[in-house]
Amino acid sequence: MQRDGSHSSRMALGRRSVLAAGAGTLTSLQWGTSTAHAAPAGKVTLAWHTNIAARWLDPQQHDGTASPDNFLMAMHDGLIKNFRDKLYDHTALAERFEFAEDAKSATFWLRSGAKFHDGSPVTPADVQWSYEHYHGAWGEVLREQTQSVEVVDDKTVRFHFKDPFLDFPILFGTANVCGAGWVVPAKYYREVGQSGFLRKPIGAGPYRLVSHEPGVKIEFEAFSDYYRPVGIRQLTMMSIPEAATRVAMLERGEADIIYFVPGELIDRVKNNSKLRLAPVVSGNWWLEFPGFQNPSSPFHDKRVRQAISLAINRDAINDAECGGMGVVDGNWINNDVEYGMEWPKWPYDLNKARQLMAEAGHPSGFNVDWVTPTPNYYSRGERIVSQLQAIGIKSKLQVMERGVFLKRLQGGLKEWPGVQIIFAATRIGGTWSNWYDTHFKCGGFNAKDFFCVKQLDDMFTKYQASYDRSERKRLAEQIQRTMLEEYYFVPVFRHAFVNAIGPRIAASKWQDVFPTITTGYCYPWEDIRLV
Amino acid sequence: MGQFIIRRTLYAIATLFILSLTIFLVVRLTGDPVMLLAEPGAQEEDLELVRKEWGLDRPLPVQYAAFVKNILTGELGQSFNYEMPVSTLYFQRLPNSLELALAATLISFLIGIPTGIISAVRVNSVWDHVGKTIALLGLSVPGFWLGLVMILVFSVWLGWLPTSGQGGWRNLVMPSVALGWYFAASLLRLTRSSMLEVLRSEYIKLARLKGLPAFVVIAVHAFKNALIPVLTLAGINLVIMLNAAVIIEVIFAWPGIGRLLYEGIFQRDFPLVQGIVMEAGVMIVVINLMVDILYAYIDPRIRLTR
Repeated sequence: MQRDGSHSSRMALGRRSVLAAGAGTLTSLQWGTSTAHAAPAGKVTLAWHTNIAARWLDPQQHDGTASPDNFLMAMHDGLIKNFRDKLYDHTALAERFEFAEDAKSATFWLRSGAKFHDGSPVTPADVQWSYEHYHGAWGEVLREQTQSVEVVDDKTVRFHFKDPFLDFPILFGTANVCGAGWVVPAKYYREVGQSGFLRKPIGAGPYRLVSHEPGVKIEFEAFSDYYRPVGIRQLTMMSIPEAATRVAMLERGEADIIYFVPGELIDRVKNNSKLRLAPVVSGNWWLEFPGFQNPSSPFHDKRVRQAISLAINRDAINDAECGGMGVVDGNWINNDVEYGMEWPKWPYDLNKARQLMAEAGHPSGFNVDWVTPTPNYYSRGERIVSQLQAIGIKSKLQVMERGVFLKRLQGGLKEWPGVQIIFAATRIGGTWSNWYDTHFKCGGFNAKDFFCVKQLDDMFTKYQASYDRSERKRLAEQIQRTMLEEYYFVPVFRHAFVNAIGPRIAASKWQDVFPTITTGYCYPWEDIRLV
Repeated sequence: MGQFIIRRTLYAIATLFILSLTIFLVVRLTGDPVMLLAEPGAQEEDLELVRKEWGLDRPLPVQYAAFVKNILTGELGQSFNYEMPVSTLYFQRLPNSLELALAATLISFLIGIPTGIISAVRVNSVWDHVGKTIALLGLSVPGFWLGLVMILVFSVWLGWLPTSGQGGWRNLVMPSVALGWYFAASLLRLTRSSMLEVLRSEYIKLARLKGLPAFVVIAVHAFKNALIPVLTLAGINLVIMLNAAVIIEVIFAWPGIGRLLYEGIFQRDFPLVQGIVMEAGVMIVVINLMVDILYAYIDPRIRLTR
C-alpha cells in the first residue's frame, strides 16, 4: 500500500519537476534578452511600517517570518522562489531544477551569467556554502534531513537527503519561510563575517545596496547585470513607524508605496482620488492560549476556549481594522496553501458564551495577565481585550516590538508566565504543514512548549513520514479539524494587509503592484514601474 | 574655590556612578537579551554560546566593571541589534539630534523669552494672559499631537513642508516646533517669574527713579540679571532635547538619538540603551557642574554656603 502510495506521490513529483523545469526554460526565454528593455528610470520610495532590523538584509539569518522577504526580494535572489502566482517553484538563479522521483535528491542548474553585485559569478560553491552555513529558520530541519550538498560541475549543484524529503522544494523556495535557498557570495561572507556582511551586504538580486542607515533607511539602485529587466533606477525603503506619517507621505508624494494603513486611516486614503488602496488579503489571525494543557490554566477547559470564540465579534474587528476588506473565515491556516482547509465562519453568541463560562466554573469570568497582539497591530489586541470583558474576562494589553515578540515566542512558556492570550498572526506560504510545524507542534519554532498535544503531534509525525499523498491529505485535514473542534486555537479573521499606492506608480489595478499571491509585499521589485 | 570645585566634582562622579549602576540594573530587569540575539530556533547550548560571546554569562559585578571600564575608555560596547559599536551608532545620529535640538532651542527662545518678558512687564494685562495661555498650552498639549496636526495642516493640506525625514531646513521646521513648543512654555514661565522678581528689586526701582528709559531698564538692567536661571534651564533643556526627543523623532522619522533609544529599548539592546543614557547623563552632570562652578565664581556667597 505504502509502496503504491509512494509511487503515486513520486509520479506527482515527477510531473511537478518537469513542469518546474519547463517553467524555468520559459522564464529564461522570456527574460533572456533583458538588454532589449528600457533602462531603469526614476526613483521609488517605500514607507516601511516598523523598524528595519539589520538582519533582514542577510538571508543566512532569516527569522522565519514574513518580514525579511520584502528586503531579500530586492537585493538577494534564490535558486527558486515564490513569485507572482508561483507558490515556491519559480526558477530564479536556477534556470531549471529537478526533484528526484524518490524525493531523495534535488538538482539545480544555475542560470548562465548570474552575478553578485560585486561582479563575481554565482557558483554552485556559493549555493553549497550558503546552504551549509545557513542558520536561520528551518535550518535545523534542513540539516537533519540533508546528507550532503554536491557540486556536480560549474553549473550544477545537487542536494542529497537522508530520507525522502517531500517538503524540500516548498521550504527551499518560499521566501517568507526560510532563507536557505538564497545565495550569498561565500568568499565575501567568509572574509567579512556576519557583522561585516550586515554592514555591507552583497546579493544577486535586482537591486544593489547603495547606502544603509541602520534602522532608518536603505537605498538601492538597479543592478544592471540582473537577468531580468529592472524598472526603477533608485529604490528607497524608509522606516516610518507612525502610520499617520506614512499616509501623509503618500498624500504628499514623498512615498510611492506605503505598507499597513490602519483601520482609522483607511477612509482618508479611500477618499483621495489620487491614491489607491491595496487590500491584500493576507495573514490569518487567531487566539492562542500558551500552557492551556496545564490543569491550573483556566483555558484548560474546552468550554472556556469555546466561550472565547463565541464572544469574539469577528465582523466588527474586520470592519474596524480593515474597513471590512479582510475575510472572516473559520480556519487559522490560509486556504491558499497545500491542504489548507476551508472552514465555516464561527458564530458570535454572547449568551451562549456566558453560559459556557458559568458551566466551566467562571460565572464572573477571570483575570488574564496579558493579551499580546502580534506587533505592531496593537489596536487589534485592544479590541480583543474589550470584547472579552463581555464574558467577564478582564485583561491588559501588552505591546512589544516585533523582534522582541518573535524572540519571546521562541523562548517558550518561560517567557509567558501566568495566564496569557496571544493574538497571533502569520502568513506562511507553501503548505499547511509549515503553519502547524511553526505554530503548534511541540518544539515548533514559534510554539515551543506552549501546546504539546501529543495525539496531534503523533499524527503530524505520521504525515511527515508518509509519501502517500492521499494519506497526507487525510492526516492534514484530520489534524486541522481536531484543532478547530477542540478550540486549541480560536481563529479570528484573515486580515487585509491594507497598503496604499501613490499616483506615480504604473498600475491599472492594485494587483499589478502586489502580484505575488503568497505575500502582502509588493515584490517582484524589479517589475515596479513608474507612470 | 578650589575646595568647592573638588567637592562638586566628587558629587558629579558620585551621581554618574549611581546613574551607571541604575541603568545597568534597570535594563537587565526587562528580560534576557539573548533571546533576541540568538538565531531563531536556537537550543539552550546555542543560547549559552551567545551569552558567552557577549559576556552575559559573567557575574553581574564583572559585567558592571566591564561596562564602567568601557565608559572610562570612551567605548560604549557593541550594539546587539546592529552588531556595531554603540559609539559609532551614537555619533552617527548625534549631528542629526544636535541639528534638531538647536533648532528647537532657537524656537523655544523665540517664543519663550520675549513672551515671558512681555508677560512680566505687562503683568496681569491682556498680554500677560496671552502669555500664560501660551505657557498652559505648551505644557499641556502633547508634542506628538501637535506634530501630527502640523503634518496634516502644513504638509497635507497646505503642502508647504515635507512630512518627515531629514533633508533641508524645511524638514526641520515642524519637528523643531513640536519639540521646542514644550520647552518654550517652560522658558516662558521661568523668564516671567525671574523678570518679575528682578523688576521688584531695589536697583530697578533706583534705575527708574533716575529716569532711565523703560527699554533700558528692562533690557539692560532687568533682563540681564533675569537671564541667568533662564540660560541654565535652556542648557539642561538642550541636553534633554538632544537625547530624549523619542516621540518627536519617531513621528517625524527623524534619525536622531531619541529614535535610536526607542529602537534600543524595544530590542532589549542593553549596550545601546546603557550607552545613550550614560552619554545623556554625562552631558547633564558636566553642564550642571560647569554652571555650579560658574555661579560660585560669580557669586562668592554660593561657594561659602553650599
